[in-house]
Amino acid sequence: MSSTGLAILAVDDEPRALADVKHLLETSAAVGRVATATSAKEALLFLSGGRYDALFLDVHMPEIEGMALARLLRRFTDPPAVVFLTGHPDAAVEAFEVQALDFLIKPVTRERLEAALARIETRAQPRSAAAVSSEGAASTGGGPDLVAVDNPKGNGKRLVRLESIAIAQANGDYARIVCADGRVLLRTPLNQLEQDWAAAGFARVHRAYLVNLTHAVELRAQLNGTAVLVMRDATEIPVARRNVAALRRRLHA
Amino acid sequence: MHAAQGLSMQDGSDPPVSVHFVNNVLAVAASYIEVEPESARDVLAQLGAFLSHRLRPGREVSLRDELEHVATYMRLEQARFPERVVAELPADEGRDGARCRAGSVQAPLAEALDRWLGEHPGRVRVAVHVRSSGERIDVQLDHPDGPVGGGERVRIALDCPAMTESVM
Repeated sequence: MSSTGLAILAVDDEPRALADVKHLLETSAAVGRVATATSAKEALLFLSGGRYDALFLDVHMPEIEGMALARLLRRFTDPPAVVFLTGHPDAAVEAFEVQALDFLIKPVTRERLEAALARIETRAQPRSAAAVSSEGAASTGGGPDLVAVDNPKGNGKRLVRLESIAIAQANGDYARIVCADGRVLLRTPLNQLEQDWAAAGFARVHRAYLVNLTHAVELRAQLNGTAVLVMRDATEIPVARRNVAALRRRLHA
Repeated sequence: MHAAQGLSMQDGSDPPVSVHFVNNVLAVAASYIEVEPESARDVLAQLGAFLSHRLRPGREVSLRDELEHVATYMRLEQARFPERVVAELPADEGRDGARCRAGSVQAPLAEALDRWLGEHPGRVRVAVHVRSSGERIDVQLDHPDGPVGGGERVRIALDCPAMTESVM
């Protein structure tokens, strides 16, 4: 997110519906820039030429449907958030499956649109903060040493030492934790973990990944400006382009 | 031409009104409110006529009214897709005696058009033809530029007992 507001790409094959959501977005204080596309193919062209914080995406479109485009976006290194637009509420279940940030029924009300934009802002701000904390400027101190996670072998909780955790990966509103003795699911969003564990040496290197830098052994640059962080066990974690420089400085400090 | 697809609306249930369609038409109206209020009013009036025809359970209507309902529906689809939907509707041929369930022509047409628009990114031309056959009326929906074999056809058979006294 830039200081001038969110960058949004709205995609709908129905021109009047697209005009409606464009007008709502352009008149929101949270939005700095709006682009529109009338097909998934056109949207991909926009995405290849610039960065967007979120896509407002119609579910039903010819050729490539909105859901298919959302699935495709998940393969991007640092994909924009997806907010689905539809005339039919039944598509909500599928939207949840592709981890859409929100789901709006047309015609969209101002109140509902602003709620979706607030969620996009919340999602975008920690990413900007992560870049700052990667420079070592932010240290809250006093992070927890132990983390209570669901016991995968039964009921109750299990305690995991924070230093044994190598990676936390976003999994909807949960986080999948990779630690010394396996993988466990933590009922906490990655954004929250990013704040809680910053003092313990964790850095958000990607929208989907929070890593313990004490477990990292190599930062490998990629031709497209992104990077790969190699962990002790040879696991490769993608690093978003916007985080590469700060992460490099932090690792070399 | 693609093989005809037979559809019948004789199971006693009311043909469904698509929530997706209604919400998208409302989005069209919303888009006009500030820039072209008269257009917004027109779209809402058309939608009102559409829903008035349909939201009365078990209602039987004249075929003439149903075809007018189809014309209203096509105008709303043209409002949604201004450059993409071209409609060729039958002229009034005096089928006053023929009656059918409300929506029995529009619902299969909507289903076919929705599919055609999804399969085909360009312009979709729809022609509606009505033919009589004893006590039945066959309504034929043609998409002559359709993606399958250069065209596609959907047939709807309507039981119309009053046809024996009607003039075709």
